[in-house]
Amino acid sequence: MTRPVSRKRRYHSTVSGRNIMKMLGFGAGMLGVVAATGPRGSFKDLDDMKSSPLAKRYLPFWVKEVDKPTVEIDWDNMEIMEGKHKTLFNPEAWPDINDYMKIHQTNIKSTTRRVQDKTPGLSLKDRALGDANCWGWGALSSIAPEWTGPDVEAYEKWEHPTMFYTPEDYGVPRYEGTPEENSQMLRVAGRILGASDMGFVQLDKNIKKLLYGNIRFEKVDKGYEDKKTHSFVLPDKELWAICSVIPQSSWMNRYTKRMSWACSNTAAYSQANIFSNRLNVFLRGLGYQYYGGDTAAIGRLVGFGVMSGLAEYGRAGIMVSPQFGMNFRTVLVTITDLPLAVTKPIDAGITQFCHACKKCGEMCPSGAISMEDEPFWGGEAAYQAKGIKGWYQGSKKCYSYMLGGEPDCSRCQTVCPFTKYDKAVMHDLVRMFIAKAPKLHRLIRIMDDVFGYGSEPDLSKTPWDLNPMDIPLFGRDPSRS
Amino acid sequence: MRLASWEWFWYVVIGFLMVSGLVYFVTELNAMDIKLLWYEWILGALFMSIFMFMGQTFIASFKEFEPRAAWMTLVFMGLPNILIGAVLVGSVMSRSMS
Repeated sequence: MTRPVSRKRRYHSTVSGRNIMKMLGFGAGMLGVVAATGPRGSFKDLDDMKSSPLAKRYLPFWVKEVDKPTVEIDWDNMEIMEGKHKTLFNPEAWPDINDYMKIHQTNIKSTTRRVQDKTPGLSLKDRALGDANCWGWGALSSIAPEWTGPDVEAYEKWEHPTMFYTPEDYGVPRYEGTPEENSQMLRVAGRILGASDMGFVQLDKNIKKLLYGNIRFEKVDKGYEDKKTHSFVLPDKELWAICSVIPQSSWMNRYTKRMSWACSNTAAYSQANIFSNRLNVFLRGLGYQYYGGDTAAIGRLVGFGVMSGLAEYGRAGIMVSPQFGMNFRTVLVTITDLPLAVTKPIDAGITQFCHACKKCGEMCPSGAISMEDEPFWGGEAAYQAKGIKGWYQGSKKCYSYMLGGEPDCSRCQTVCPFTKYDKAVMHDLVRMFIAKAPKLHRLIRIMDDVFGYGSEPDLSKTPWDLNPMDIPLFGRDPSRS
Repeated sequence: MRLASWEWFWYVVIGFLMVSGLVYFVTELNAMDIKLLWYEWILGALFMSIFMFMGQTFIASFKEFEPRAAWMTLVFMGLPNILIGAVLVGSVMSRSMS
């Protein structure tokens, strides 16, 4: 008589955590590091990973999960964006391409002059460090995977000959778990692979409107890229979006407006593409499909972030998180058929606080951020999202400022009162009051200024003047990352 | 050893100062044969709590590269706390004098 095997035990025998780590290229050495630093010593396998306290979504008590996000959305009026070629970063999206080219020319002249003048913070070595930091992101240096994920191939003579094996290669069924278990597993894996936080949404009728218009659904087993029409195909079945945010250096961010080396945003994009590949390989190892997920993006990322509860919609037209403020980079959206338990939108009083605060708008050197008291329906420009009652950013001004000769800016992200390190207990108390006492919002904003938060650092000292050991690893402080 | 690793040291210093102050205060009260009233206990607890909170914020603000926030913490928490301390000491002293 065959003894019944418990479900849990059966999963233990399919794809082990060790094999997953090997597929990801970490090998035994990395497992040792994870074992030494993990909250419970180590993850023996995926089940162990899922039951870790890290796997649960812990929100502070003043952050509520809500059925609708705090920004008003009119799904009937929501237009599907044609594709990434319509974003502001592409000349095609500009009504007059000469405007775009003019900005490029201004940038080249301005940057070259500063390099020639050896302007502190904008000299040749600052530029070189900045470029080195953002390798991996960008058209020519990109390590962004294909739509259907990265090509992986093991080196035959490698000590782990089963590296990059799929369940099929092992002769076992793909990994199976409940949606709740799967979400918890991804949340743990995400932290190990490099994401600050993760949220999950199912691709329903509304959420599909957040995808670019050049993504279509067909009755196929597996999605593919249609290179003839520059479009992407997803299988017409139940799919979920894994929304991941990438940490960004608060320390570098403070210098970003003045110094070329401090490219906290592009450095984070570079790390984002590395993360994206790793996440796809993880899903591949489990036996599931994976599409997109890199910085090339597959739709309206702020929308995905808000709907998956990673943050609320802020005055600057981008996300503000209760944990990280505005200091994270992009939402990487990976589509998968791994069933997931969705995460709901959140309400931490952030959008409400944006009514009174306006600090990002006041500090924005390009005047791109709306100073209107109340949010409004907008989205007339091609690169904006119609159907949202929010503060619409004049992205063209922002883009023109950043690329028109100044270093990358990110000033709004730096000055946001929610963007703080996590050393002082005070910050959590302030966040709690923001969530629970809206009448204090104005006072909190004033005190944020009085305490000097968001002010520019001592620009007479560049990183070249510091003790290297005082520089956070990857320029990324551990706070809130 | 780098200074950044010495954060714990400053918390030990604060703890030492607090415990020493408390021991000294209680010893003095015993020597003068004074018993604290209920609201004086509350004031004392409040004083200690604010002092601890202020100390944590002060040290952490330097760690966060926010020196101005550190000094402002002393102003906005330290001054009211001195007031609370003064009220407490004044209350105790006035009873002992009478």
